[in-house]
Amino acid sequence: MKSAPFQMHQVSTKDEILELLDRYGDDARIIAGGQTLVPVLAMRVASPDHLIDINQVASLKRFGISGRSLEVGACVRQSELEGWDELTRAQPLLAMMLPWIAHTPIRNRGTVCGSIAHADPSAELVLGLAVLDGSVTLVSKKRRRIVKAKDFFLGALQTDRQTNEFIEAVHFPISGAATGYGFAEFGYRHGDFAVVAVAVIKDGDSWTIGFGGIDDTARVHKINAESFDQVNQFLDELASETEVREDPTATSGLRRHLMRTLGKRACKQAMEFKRG
Amino acid sequence: MKNKLVRLTLNGIEREVYCESRTTLLDFIRHDLGATGTHAGCEHGVCGACTVEVNGEIIRSCLMFACQADGAIIKTVEGFSKSGEMSDLQIAFKKHHALQCGFCTSGFLISAEDLLRKSPMPTDLEVREGLSGNLCRCTGYVGIIEAVLEVASTRAQANGDKHA
Repeated sequence: MKSAPFQMHQVSTKDEILELLDRYGDDARIIAGGQTLVPVLAMRVASPDHLIDINQVASLKRFGISGRSLEVGACVRQSELEGWDELTRAQPLLAMMLPWIAHTPIRNRGTVCGSIAHADPSAELVLGLAVLDGSVTLVSKKRRRIVKAKDFFLGALQTDRQTNEFIEAVHFPISGAATGYGFAEFGYRHGDFAVVAVAVIKDGDSWTIGFGGIDDTARVHKINAESFDQVNQFLDELASETEVREDPTATSGLRRHLMRTLGKRACKQAMEFKRG
Repeated sequence: MKNKLVRLTLNGIEREVYCESRTTLLDFIRHDLGATGTHAGCEHGVCGACTVEVNGEIIRSCLMFACQADGAIIKTVEGFSKSGEMSDLQIAFKKHHALQCGFCTSGFLISAEDLLRKSPMPTDLEVREGLSGNLCRCTGYVGIIEAVLEVASTRAQANGDKHA
């Protein structure tokens, strides 16, 4: 359980990150919170020759509202966002989701962008970015590009990030005044990975319902429904028709069941949502 | 190659030691600084035995490299009581049989202190939630929760007396 040797580059500017990524490409990994990467290194699932520690890059530690989005820099800890007074007003769905990510000591160090970069199919923030139709800013020495969540997440632990790019920030659209939100999750122990997680956004009769944990990446559905019965019917049909993941932690039958029950719970919460 | 110089404050004492890039903060504290109260359990962030305080926030010391803690102020279980004495929380752990083998205890004590600092009068559920990142494989959790709740109320009482 010890990492293979590597060279640690502790940088203090973005230019240094880009220079190192340009030079080392796939032989280098970015480390910010390290809450996924360090275990991966310890188990030697990966053994890169170079780590680029970006924790001292001041400009990546910022977050805040920029236009219609909540912009979160690469070094912002999950607990920082969770503890932000304005979060419930800016994006209530994130305020609902963040406490479900692992445990306090992990959120104190783990970053928002790190979770997005890792792209675990059960991760709350992956589901959050997908259902909110957010985006990711990727920067390389040659260009800067903004990629929509649906184009960024390619599969389980697979993203559109190229080896010479790093995630500078992620953007979560901020909440509309009349929008309702709901979130429900089932895991075997609080803080464990979600077996199934559901996030719901309700704008009048327009519903966006996203599921985590059922497939290689978050699955997002948009429907129009005038009544809660219609939503229920949709969830029942969807759960019966969708191909879902089966693994040692849960059968596909359990996951379908959770899609229905958690789906209804989250939709009800979105319907009754009141702004704090 | 021990080519990374790490300067940090461990339990109020400044330390300065060279280590390898790949040395975790956990191994650094135990092997290089000799403070063995912090325990190495799963070494991949699941068990919570290695929990320490870095710059006032609790973290898993197995999930951070020592060189990333350069300049940090670190507090481990040794820093929560005077040598030879037990803190009120440690006494309560003893009283409520909140430990058996003791392997997980230092991690629990640090998580519990952090919880009590942020939420001085937690409910049973808040204690369970606050300690959910720590695993105990022998005694179970009931004694631990009772100990934390008791300390919360005795500290609140003592504070009340001070203000009265």
